[in-house]
Amino acid sequence: MNGYAGKILSINLSIRRITTIPTKKYEQWVGGHGMGSALFFDMVKDKTIDGFNPENVITLMSSPLCGTLVPSGAARTEIQGIGVQSLPIGWFTRSNFGGRFSSMLKYAGWDGIAIQGQADSRVWIDIRNDEVKIRECNDLNLWGTDTWECQKAIWKDVTGEGTYGDWIKINEKGDMTTQRPAVLAIGPAGENLSRMACLIHDAGNGAGQGGFGAVFGKKGLKAISVIGTGSIHVNDPKGLMISRLWLKKKYSFNLKNLKIKDFTMGFQSPPVPMALYSGGKPRIGQRPQACVGCTAGCRGRYEDGIGNEAICFNSIFYLFGKTLLIQRQAADLLNRYGLNAAEMFVGELYLKKLRDRGFIGKGKAIDCPLDFKQYGELSYAEQLIKAISYRNDGKGDPHPFGDILAEGFVRAAEKWGRLEGKDSDLKTGLLRFPHWGLPVHKLERSQLDWGYGTILSDRDINEHCFDMLRAFPTYLKLLDRRLPPAEVIVQGITNKMEPFQGDKKMLDFSTENMYSEHIIKLVTWHRHYTRFWKQSAQLCDFRWPDFLNLYGPNKFGATGIAEQRFFNDVTGKGFSFLDGINLGKKIWNLDNAIWILQGRHRDMVRFADYIYTNPGKTSSGYPEYMPGIKNGKWDYVVTSGRHFDEDKFEDFKTRFYRFQGWDEKTGCPTRKTLESLALEHVADELEKNGKM
Amino acid sequence: MKSKSSKKNKLSRRSFLKCTGTIVFVMGSTSYLLNGCRGKKGESEMAVSDGYLVVDVEKCQGCLTCMLACSLVHEGVQNPSLSRIQILQDSFGKFPEDLSIEQCRQCEAPECVEACPENALTANTEFGNVRMVDKEKCTGCGSCFEACPYTPARLSVMEDSAFNNELKSRKCDLCANTPHHWEKKGGGPGGKQACVEVCPVGAIAFTQKLPIQEGMSGYKVNLRDKNWTKLGYLNG
Repeated sequence: MNGYAGKILSINLSIRRITTIPTKKYEQWVGGHGMGSALFFDMVKDKTIDGFNPENVITLMSSPLCGTLVPSGAARTEIQGIGVQSLPIGWFTRSNFGGRFSSMLKYAGWDGIAIQGQADSRVWIDIRNDEVKIRECNDLNLWGTDTWECQKAIWKDVTGEGTYGDWIKINEKGDMTTQRPAVLAIGPAGENLSRMACLIHDAGNGAGQGGFGAVFGKKGLKAISVIGTGSIHVNDPKGLMISRLWLKKKYSFNLKNLKIKDFTMGFQSPPVPMALYSGGKPRIGQRPQACVGCTAGCRGRYEDGIGNEAICFNSIFYLFGKTLLIQRQAADLLNRYGLNAAEMFVGELYLKKLRDRGFIGKGKAIDCPLDFKQYGELSYAEQLIKAISYRNDGKGDPHPFGDILAEGFVRAAEKWGRLEGKDSDLKTGLLRFPHWGLPVHKLERSQLDWGYGTILSDRDINEHCFDMLRAFPTYLKLLDRRLPPAEVIVQGITNKMEPFQGDKKMLDFSTENMYSEHIIKLVTWHRHYTRFWKQSAQLCDFRWPDFLNLYGPNKFGATGIAEQRFFNDVTGKGFSFLDGINLGKKIWNLDNAIWILQGRHRDMVRFADYIYTNPGKTSSGYPEYMPGIKNGKWDYVVTSGRHFDEDKFEDFKTRFYRFQGWDEKTGCPTRKTLESLALEHVADELEKNGKM
Repeated sequence: MKSKSSKKNKLSRRSFLKCTGTIVFVMGSTSYLLNGCRGKKGESEMAVSDGYLVVDVEKCQGCLTCMLACSLVHEGVQNPSLSRIQILQDSFGKFPEDLSIEQCRQCEAPECVEACPENALTANTEFGNVRMVDKEKCTGCGSCFEACPYTPARLSVMEDSAFNNELKSRKCDLCANTPHHWEKKGGGPGGKQACVEVCPVGAIAFTQKLPIQEGMSGYKVNLRDKNWTKLGYLNG
């Protein structure tokens, strides 16, 4: 089994049983998400349980590519299980993080971990190659530490009498490495079961969505540490090296010939930290920092050690922090306490709006202990983070504010009475949580792949596959720079989108096309591509797919050529690009079956009210542009400032379900469709539960 | 791997004295330096290597790609513990001390070679005198690992599946003995080195020039240029 360690670690915390599942049993799913969904389906008999139920299974999966030379495809870990963050229920959901965890897991001899049960004391899992122990937190005083303190304490324990900087003996057998263990930990937010709690690995790799930090906390699981010294065999070592150098030469940024200096998508991007602080980028000594095997690090490490590896939502959390330093320190606090940066960012702005309107404060309608006079100072951010993490006033005293807010911003708004009547904050749009009780990311009414993909699945998809189609036109228009012909761009991209290749109107984002069969195909392709190539093979979202590339032939990227090339170098499975898409379809169907078993019906697949009435505005106030047909010709058209029509969206859903081969009335995959995908047992389960 | 009982943190005292005792009177004469500092095996001089790896610690992005490429071309597997070059990093550390690159120096006076009781570690004349392990002769005794004056040791002694899982020493040979080399010509000082070729940011370079042997400055160099500065980094 080239690319695999060969076994999956299964741990039941309730009875403290450690067993092994042969990876071969699930090899048809390849790895990552597919393998995680299949494991979950088999292990959790009652899919209707709550995420906090001990029977909930959390899977942490690598892929055959993890830990190998595959560019920007060696480092991701896919985490799945029933989450506790979303509404109306915690869906079976996914999150994903980079760094060193999945590669180290494989070097230790494991393709993944499945965790079930709930410990009767607070524990952590210590993996050193084949030796796996469930250890007590008390021994190292881990419970109560923040995510960074926890990791450092475990590092110290694992190194024993050794010293980092030298070869370390990791077990009695004498297996050696110079590397620190890869540790995934929760902070106080997870310990206290905040539904916004995330998992943190190293300084800034976070698995934010789903509230898996709280699920860990409920299970009594503080951390998982893994250190490995073993080998992963690959099918064609020489071929893999040749492929890596091919991609470097033909498609990767060239430091001697920079064509882009500040972009972080695709292989054309040089290593630049995607730190989005409103105070600008830190102008101090720093390096780029990359996940294992990446072509270009998208994070930084700094001479003052502040804001290490913080990017994206993590770095914009404290948008109105008065100084860059305060913003960077606030980013660190989020990571240390272990809170979901996306929800904290959007939620913090909601609190600000409530404060500006006089709804919240000491003695106001919403009694709030936050010291708003300190807004912009670090002390304000720290109080907010601590209030949520400890469910108190943020200064150590009991207060319902933190307790309520720890449940998430939508649940808190409901508790505060802000979701009642025609002025509900989800009708006015004051609370920008448009789908599944989760925060806005991209403008869903503009970037249709993102919006539809999210509402038709279970979470903010956070898949940047087509993001360049918004980013480049929007910014280049703003700068009054020349754009390449839109038709050429969409032709080149859609040519790669097997099996719908060549249908240019899949990328027509104009209002006239926003409910069309072409957009249905776009969303379908996106679900299938990401379910396999990104979330199961685990190619990084920031680099793949490589559609547009200033270094590539005709300025198009490596996608459609490179995915299967690397996959086959490692596994020897002889996969085509389309094989991956088709397996993605199978995984997508399995996920939807699980959601149906959880209780989903098509009527629940609905945006928040304001999405159907309010025009989608960008936070900057500038319009967004995407490719589209205008007056019969391809152009870049304004896609912001419009809203969905509910009836048209419902019709779109009906046609989308039909296109998937699902029941149009319920959204449930049909037996015929499931059997065509060799998922008879899934159809049987749906039927047994009265879903068909 | 055989455990190392004690390590010296810098250039060994013996090596240091051997070099500096000569250098004091050299007054910049390179030829004299090379001859005077040259390692000995018994009474015979050892030829210097035809090539060396130099690295830029401040440019490295810590992706470990070099380590993956190293184990791949040498062993056909992916295993950082088998890599001849080691990247060590602390995610919470402060730049630039958060990371170090530790590569074999192909020492002018290699103590590992001197220490080998089996003559398994030699300056290999077939490959430009690169200091190289003959695994057929190596008994895995670990003498070379103990003798390396640097931390971490630039060699490792671990089980080798090609030799019935016997302990074998491994060290950087500039890709001379790489069954999985991607070019027919192969590596070594006259060929291409996997870590150099694969590094995404050009933080590892090959040079034929003998680096300054004392301290780290000869091996840890500045490979940044103006374009690196344009990305927002220091150019040293």
